[in-house]
Amino acid sequence: MSRDTIQKYLNSKKRLVDNLELPRIVRKGEEEGGCGVVGFCCSEPVGGRHIYEPSRQMHNRGNGKGGGIAAVGFIPDQIGVSREVLDNYYMLHIAFLDIDVRKELEKKYITPNFEIALTTKLDTVDDWKAVQGLEVKPPDVLRYVVKTKEKVLNKFIKDNGFEGMDRDKVEDEFIGQNSFTLNQEFYASLGEQKAFVLSHGKNIMILKVVGYAEAIVKYYKIEDLRAHVWIAHQRFPTRGRVWHPGGAHPFAGVNMALVHNGDFANYHSVSEYLLQRNIYPQFLTDTEVSALMFDLMVRTYEYPLEYIIEALAPTTELDFDRLSDEKQKIYRAVQATHIHGSPDGPWFFIIARNLIKEKTFQLLGITDTAMLRPQVFAFCDGEVQVGLIGSEKQAIDATLESLAQEDIRICPVAEKYWNARGGSHTDGGSFRFDVKADDAGKIRITVSDKFGNLVEMPEAKEACDFSQGISLPPETENRVQTIVSGRFAPGNAYVIFKMICKLVPEWTFDEFRLACKQIVNQSQDASKIEIAIEVLTLLNDRIYSTGTKKRSHILHIVRKSLDKIFDSIKSICADSPGGHFRSIDFDSRDDLRGPAEGETTLVINADRFAPEGDNCDAALLVKAYAKGWKKFIVYKCRGQRYIGCGLGPGSDDVYIDVYGSNGDYLASGALGVNISVHGNAQDQLGQIIKKGKLVIHGDVGQTFMYGAKGGDVYVRGNAAGRPLINSVGRPRVVINGTCLDFLGESFMAGDPHNGGGFVVVNGITLDQDGKVIAMKEPYPGSNLFSLASGGAAFVRDPKRVMVDEQLNGGVYQEFTDADWKLILPYLEENEKLFGITIDDLLTVDGEKQEPPMVYRKVVPAASAVSSSKVQDASEEEEYADLVLE
Amino acid sequence: MGNFSAKENKLEDLLPANTLKLRVEQVNVKREIKPAPSRYRNEIARYVIRRNEDCVMCGKCAEICPNGVHVRKTGYKYFLEPKSDLCIGPVCEKTDHFCVAKCPHNALRFVENPMIKALGDCRWTSDLMLATWKMAETGQNPDEDFDLEYECGDSGGGFDRMRIRFPERPAVELSEDEIDTSIQLNRSNDGRPNIKIDVPWYGGGMSFGSVSNTTQLAKARAAVAFNTFTCTGEGGYMERMMPYDDHVITQVATGLFGVREDTIQRVPIVEFKYAQGAKPGLGGHLLGDKNTTAVSRMREAVQGISLFSPFPFHSVYSIEDHMKHIDWIKHINPRALVSSKVSTPTDVDMVAVGSYSAGSHIIHIDGGYGGTGAAPDIAKKNIAMPIEYAIPKVHGFLEAEGVRNNITLIASGGIRSASDIVKAIALGADGVVIGTVELIALGCVRCSKCESGRGCPRGIATTDVELKELMTVEWATQRIINLYEAWRKQLIEIMRKLGIRNIGELRGRSDLLMHLDYTNDVESKT
Repeated sequence: MSRDTIQKYLNSKKRLVDNLELPRIVRKGEEEGGCGVVGFCCSEPVGGRHIYEPSRQMHNRGNGKGGGIAAVGFIPDQIGVSREVLDNYYMLHIAFLDIDVRKELEKKYITPNFEIALTTKLDTVDDWKAVQGLEVKPPDVLRYVVKTKEKVLNKFIKDNGFEGMDRDKVEDEFIGQNSFTLNQEFYASLGEQKAFVLSHGKNIMILKVVGYAEAIVKYYKIEDLRAHVWIAHQRFPTRGRVWHPGGAHPFAGVNMALVHNGDFANYHSVSEYLLQRNIYPQFLTDTEVSALMFDLMVRTYEYPLEYIIEALAPTTELDFDRLSDEKQKIYRAVQATHIHGSPDGPWFFIIARNLIKEKTFQLLGITDTAMLRPQVFAFCDGEVQVGLIGSEKQAIDATLESLAQEDIRICPVAEKYWNARGGSHTDGGSFRFDVKADDAGKIRITVSDKFGNLVEMPEAKEACDFSQGISLPPETENRVQTIVSGRFAPGNAYVIFKMICKLVPEWTFDEFRLACKQIVNQSQDASKIEIAIEVLTLLNDRIYSTGTKKRSHILHIVRKSLDKIFDSIKSICADSPGGHFRSIDFDSRDDLRGPAEGETTLVINADRFAPEGDNCDAALLVKAYAKGWKKFIVYKCRGQRYIGCGLGPGSDDVYIDVYGSNGDYLASGALGVNISVHGNAQDQLGQIIKKGKLVIHGDVGQTFMYGAKGGDVYVRGNAAGRPLINSVGRPRVVINGTCLDFLGESFMAGDPHNGGGFVVVNGITLDQDGKVIAMKEPYPGSNLFSLASGGAAFVRDPKRVMVDEQLNGGVYQEFTDADWKLILPYLEENEKLFGITIDDLLTVDGEKQEPPMVYRKVVPAASAVSSSKVQDASEEEEYADLVLE
Repeated sequence: MGNFSAKENKLEDLLPANTLKLRVEQVNVKREIKPAPSRYRNEIARYVIRRNEDCVMCGKCAEICPNGVHVRKTGYKYFLEPKSDLCIGPVCEKTDHFCVAKCPHNALRFVENPMIKALGDCRWTSDLMLATWKMAETGQNPDEDFDLEYECGDSGGGFDRMRIRFPERPAVELSEDEIDTSIQLNRSNDGRPNIKIDVPWYGGGMSFGSVSNTTQLAKARAAVAFNTFTCTGEGGYMERMMPYDDHVITQVATGLFGVREDTIQRVPIVEFKYAQGAKPGLGGHLLGDKNTTAVSRMREAVQGISLFSPFPFHSVYSIEDHMKHIDWIKHINPRALVSSKVSTPTDVDMVAVGSYSAGSHIIHIDGGYGGTGAAPDIAKKNIAMPIEYAIPKVHGFLEAEGVRNNITLIASGGIRSASDIVKAIALGADGVVIGTVELIALGCVRCSKCESGRGCPRGIATTDVELKELMTVEWATQRIINLYEAWRKQLIEIMRKLGIRNIGELRGRSDLLMHLDYTNDVESKT
């Protein structure tokens, strides 16, 4: 857009602001911190019920003082208008806190300006108190489907000199300004708020309440209202008595809705930036100004998405250097112009919008440059496609679970789960899902990053038809049965796994399903439960070729089978004795007892347990441990936190296997316990861990092992941002993937050759056949070992891709034989756990190399200069002063 | 410790067996006043007596002085240098035992100690310090003859311009034992122990590293004697502290130094230090010289390297993270109360309400006046809101939100005297946390050298093996006990004069305060 046009837009707003005589200072009305956010889009319109479950699961990220949802892309019939009207008219959703002002409001802002295709009051349940999770009565919401009257728009164009400009865009602006004036009169300027615009745009709706987000689905009865894109927000405002929903998310721009998790430190600066452009916040929260910023960039500056994201989350440090010259030039200009509007502090946005011209519904997630809020993206490919973004993986799992229940073509296991790296040259910290009809008119979703690069999805496309039972000819059945049962005896788990592995590529889905079924059947023999679990766990944890079959579907089959075995385990209440395993669930939790003779393992069904507090499964586990149980299987996790915490010292003989969507803080505080996570893990894992073994068969989230003092830890995949910050003592960690940034900041783990700690970063990934593939960069971040004073990082970097600038406090040191001897046992264990062989790690471009050619050693600059000091007797005495005799 | 004991609440049902196994027998410390004279031969005094060569050692001065200023050891010919700190100063001139006048040889002179001008600062005046020393020495208020101003400093603002408005006669006449100075720390009715402390204050967090283990132990022992608490600070939990477990708060700060599951489990209160009023936004730092072998072993870090605690918690960037953080501690220690220590930014009221809804039992607001030499000068008093503004702001907001009675509000940051405590409570706090004053009691002269070199020349804030030998645990304990007792008596006296039976009744009674700058009230000595 030309400078002249931009100025015209801004001037038109100035008139508005001047007329209202608004004060030129904006202060944040209330503080709010984090929240829970989730969004998903689907290639077929799906009901509001599917935003219900993930919202409910993120309860503990809100406090019931504000919730909201938004939807984009409805079905004409359900709205009660024609396709033509739905596509071309604006939907205004207006919340009436006081329905008595309706007439006056309509008379002033609706009837004179618009041709109205439809006016409806959203249907609600009769008694709001019957809906759980509502604090006060939600507003009455009216939906107006409208188009601006010709002469009104003409006058608007004439008044503002918009002649010759795109009429649709001008109408967008008119809609925005009309809502602004309406809000000012009925909301912002009043001591008592009466009405405000929830959303204004084409084919889009926002609803908010004082309460939890999922209550909206029930209260406004939108379980069956179908749309392509849904987003939801659980709010945690610090001000306790919020009686109106105006401050809740999502916030609207024209044709868009934005939810936000985080908090700006520079609210004032961003507001000033907006005021200079005659944009005046009315709801006084961070999120509102975010929506206003985004709207400004989209409609007034007409920046491409890439630049908008750059303006919000600037690319910095090494990432900036890695951009092309041309990009650097543009980005520098974008940063210089908009830095004051760039939100500073932790934030993560999820945006749903309707791109009218492109005929696209879009779901977008953007993280701040430092990645200070949790975020997970996922994509489920197939006949029906689903793109998902959430604060926690468990919200994504819950959404998929909910969708799969309705539509068997959707697999509860997604094709791919990943994180964005904020302000990076690799993905720019943002991913978008575009929902659009393809040439054949079929609606499909494309997934791309900030630069528009498509996100690579697994090649295997063959789907399993879960709607059909297994149907195989008898001879095939017999063959599969022989393979599974032939050697089904204790000690053979790995052999059986290997055998199945080899066959999976050539097998049909039905053959694989049958094999799993056979394994489940075998487990009915009490002596074979253990091996059945082992085989299925290997099939779940390891990556092996699935041929043309989708790995996600194979995994789904394996996980269902595992659940079946766990479900069939004898309950703790059962009278009949015998067997090593006992199970306990929410209903039988009060029947907890110690293990009887011969019982070794307690299987905890985490479903329905609270994610924290006295009634959480982790608390039950501690109680069970006190009663003598030492081995645990926790399954059907739905984001439950603190698993393995609270066991106290000397828990070396405790083993916990975790299945499902485990939650934050797992093993945080561990003093000996052994935990295996069979899947991806969440944030704040292993915080202050001192001792014990932690194995993650997947990725881990933010601030992994913050303040750790020890522990042997193995991660098959990646760690997100800030792993091992402030770690001391002797943590020994192998990360096979990489991490986003800030690895080992303030690492203080002594001398690794003298009882201290270290981290090995292999920088590899496993391809779909389980082969080791080196990443382009073993460590993409700009900060490794900043402020560190002890320990070492061993990075697999045979091509010497890492540069000095990335160390920021660390220095390279020669990788010696002693170093190799130090890490070798850990790599051997790593091989055992994940099947990532040392040979593969040492192989570069098909040739096996010596360890010093492959690995590089990074030590803190501080420890590189100070040689290890010898203690003298007086210092021993000094320490003796602290300990009891 | 309050009404909570291992037996009544069945500690064994709440804590893992292995944690209980670590538990050692709890030591009782008697609340007993004993003289704990200065550990220096000549304590700093406001006035000094000089003896010149005209002295003939007649002994007249020693004979008449009732305060023991002049000492000649048995079997010695010469007098010791006069113990000027015992001298009551100019008021003596009017008595019949004024040694300077009575000296037959005019060998004595009486001068104001020039060092006094250099001692202390506007907030911590030399009077306040001398008086605190006296209290720590005797357990009594300093003798009126010394004429020390120990209620306020001289900063020209804050508590120093506030006075307590005493009625001419209290509404009720109360005797000393009718007055209750105890406060409840758990007001949330969540089934966790209802901890009560006997005095409305507890000791602030000072890590091993920032101070010596002697200082830490003395603080802990005094806390036992007064049935209150001390806090570990962020430097680990030394074993020698374990006999006092029931009176210790484990601090979880941003560096997580020395914090382990067992150190969280063994105590009744866990404190999150999000920020310090003396240096908000700056985290913590221990310079390399003070990071000795013992310190580095406690923290499991590298010896001799400066240690940083980041700001903020890397795992907490929002209120819902904060809740998760609190839930974590509550999960690890099912009997613990959780305190959230924050500094006082302009939106401290929102922070407080947020902490309440996140599940804190105690919100601890730390104003900008506190801090020892380790906090950078540029930060001290310059960033955080003064505590006298923050307390009413938070108190009022919590009341408006209807949650005031469900959370304990603790204020800190420059609490120097019993009078400061009364002011803080009258402004709306439930109690206070003290820090610097305990160090003053141990003989700190506020030289602000806490962080540099091997630390405190007076052996308090040091980990140097030689320097820390400058005091013993017994002596240091007694000094703090004496100070506490003097304060308790002062507090009771103030409450008696106000006619207030229970310290809780004083909360939010700002009508009992006057501010000399904003009222027409005239200062009157009561």
